[in-house]
Amino acid sequence: MAETMQNLLLGFSVALQPSVLVYAFIGCLVGTLVGMLPGLGPLAGISLLLPATFGLNPIISVVLLSGVYYGAMYGGSTTSILMRIPGEAASVMTCVDGYAMTQRGRAGPALAIAAIGSFVAGTFGVFGLMLLAPTLATFALRFGPPEYTALLLMGFLVLAYMTGGSMLKTLAMAGFGLLLGMIGIDAMSGYTRFSYDIVELGDGIGIVPVAVGLFGVSEVLLTAGQPVPPKVQKPTLRELIPSREEFRLSVWPILRGTLIGFLIGIIPGSAHIISSFVSYGVERRISKHPERFGNGAIEGVAGPESANNSAAQGAFIPMMALGIPTSPIMAVMIAALMLHGISPGPMLITQEPELFWGFVASMYIGNVVLLILNLPMVGLFVTLLRVPYSYLYPCVLCFCILGCYSVNNSTLDVWIMLVMGGIGYVFRKFGYDLAPVALGLILSPMLELSLRQSLAMSAGDYGIFLDRPITVTMLVISAVLFLFSLKPLFFKGKDWRADVGLDEKA
Amino acid sequence: MTRTPGPAGARDGIRSDQISGVFLLLLALYVGWQDRAFPVGTLADPGPGFMPLLIAIFLGVVGLLIAVFGGKSEPFSSIPWPEARRAVLVLVISVAGAFALERVGYRLTMIALLVFFLGVVERRHPFAAAAVAVGFSVITYYVFSTLLQVQLPHSPWGF
Repeated sequence: MAETMQNLLLGFSVALQPSVLVYAFIGCLVGTLVGMLPGLGPLAGISLLLPATFGLNPIISVVLLSGVYYGAMYGGSTTSILMRIPGEAASVMTCVDGYAMTQRGRAGPALAIAAIGSFVAGTFGVFGLMLLAPTLATFALRFGPPEYTALLLMGFLVLAYMTGGSMLKTLAMAGFGLLLGMIGIDAMSGYTRFSYDIVELGDGIGIVPVAVGLFGVSEVLLTAGQPVPPKVQKPTLRELIPSREEFRLSVWPILRGTLIGFLIGIIPGSAHIISSFVSYGVERRISKHPERFGNGAIEGVAGPESANNSAAQGAFIPMMALGIPTSPIMAVMIAALMLHGISPGPMLITQEPELFWGFVASMYIGNVVLLILNLPMVGLFVTLLRVPYSYLYPCVLCFCILGCYSVNNSTLDVWIMLVMGGIGYVFRKFGYDLAPVALGLILSPMLELSLRQSLAMSAGDYGIFLDRPITVTMLVISAVLFLFSLKPLFFKGKDWRADVGLDEKA
Repeated sequence: MTRTPGPAGARDGIRSDQISGVFLLLLALYVGWQDRAFPVGTLADPGPGFMPLLIAIFLGVVGLLIAVFGGKSEPFSSIPWPEARRAVLVLVISVAGAFALERVGYRLTMIALLVFFLGVVERRHPFAAAAVAVGFSVITYYVFSTLLQVQLPHSPWGF
């Protein structure tokens, strides 16, 4: 514990440098905007800002990008509450009761509780990250290729089980992503696969054009031509203060949401999205007055908002400690670190203590910045929402082109982005969730390499996966999840996913 | 073309999941076919063609399952495509933009793209469209190229 405190002090000494503070502030600000604007979620926002971090040092880059990430989580809730437009997917649940509160004239307290919940959850999330990540990293030092293979397999099945909508469709999208990841030079044999004689494809397909295409461009295509957004009401600062009753009702949902979000955040998948659904389901279920939900229950805002924020922090744990992204957003974060020559993994925390602890400390600071930034400035942000979408989406699209191009100075990336945008648009029309594609893309080379290394270690004996206790545990969990995922095909009836509302979302 | 609902008792037509499932199956078959070029190796010693084949088989099976169990999904004809025309138009203009980017430079491409989007697709006032287009192009160029030192393509005429 003393060591942790000492490390944290080191972290704060890094994070309180003026330059780092400024970028944390910019990140939160940009993130809030990104989260509020329809058509740009946190993933596309982070991907697009990636080129802007080239000239910065690695610590500042991570601080900036993660500021965008949790800023966007928060910004999304503002539009959900005020306009019933989820700026990004994790805020879908907030729309239900948040907007109902707005209609009853309680928009201010809803915003305030969302901000307080996010702050509490964010702070606890960082605390958990601080305690868990180094422990997990020490544990992960014992991981060899077989463990990574089993871990990645388990990750995919957890993802399929936890994501909303049909599990088969999720697995299909993961498969599609894995195939995309096969493009490029095979690290073990030197063969260039599926490159169609395009030299640049030898390096494989980058995560940025795919992420921006799937989540930015396809969103623009889906929403282009929609009518003008509805009128927004602008709460004043005095209206923000919740009543004592509202406070009392929110305390437990915030704490439960924090815990649920954090636990789900560590698991692979679109954690922050699922956690908000689960939290809403839990709150509705244990409430003594479930009929209030949907009509402006403050618990329905407090729980999901806290959950998605602590999940956002929890997701950093496997990313920092294992080097394994649990969501497309983490995949882009890893890409950002790698651009600066740092590869996340069990050694990161010991080798780059300043980076890790500086980052942890900057998240504390980011949470404070968000709280003081968002509440007083909510009126200003709301004014920006009045910009008509017909002006907004062309600019978003041009930003996408700019961002994708400048990662590698490559027009090919722009083409990939546009193709992925078209594919993503069609898949979404058919009810597919796209997050597994981005995850599959980044995990597939890791999976292939660790599988083949394992087999090389054992001279081709698959028994190597059964000799190791960690591997066996993970494989058993994977098998159980796989059987669960087959269940709805053969047995009718609802499972827990329907109870918490996961199935309601396509 | 609009579909009128058929008389009572007519088939609902093909289901959306059947289409997407079959598409995924076809994609998997195509990848499997393309994968011939690489040695698959053996189970004990996988070659470069091993994983792609494995994933293609996985995708094919999942696609088949989606199609087989897709009989109860919503009929394909019931998916609304109100934004499809505009989406295709937006995509086509973006493709033209991608083609132009390295040929006429960043700033000209962005101005042209935005003028097209705002003036032609959205039919905004020409003056407003031009102002946004020039403003966006100049400001982003200044922020990214001048401040953040990101390399952006120039036109052959030097700007």
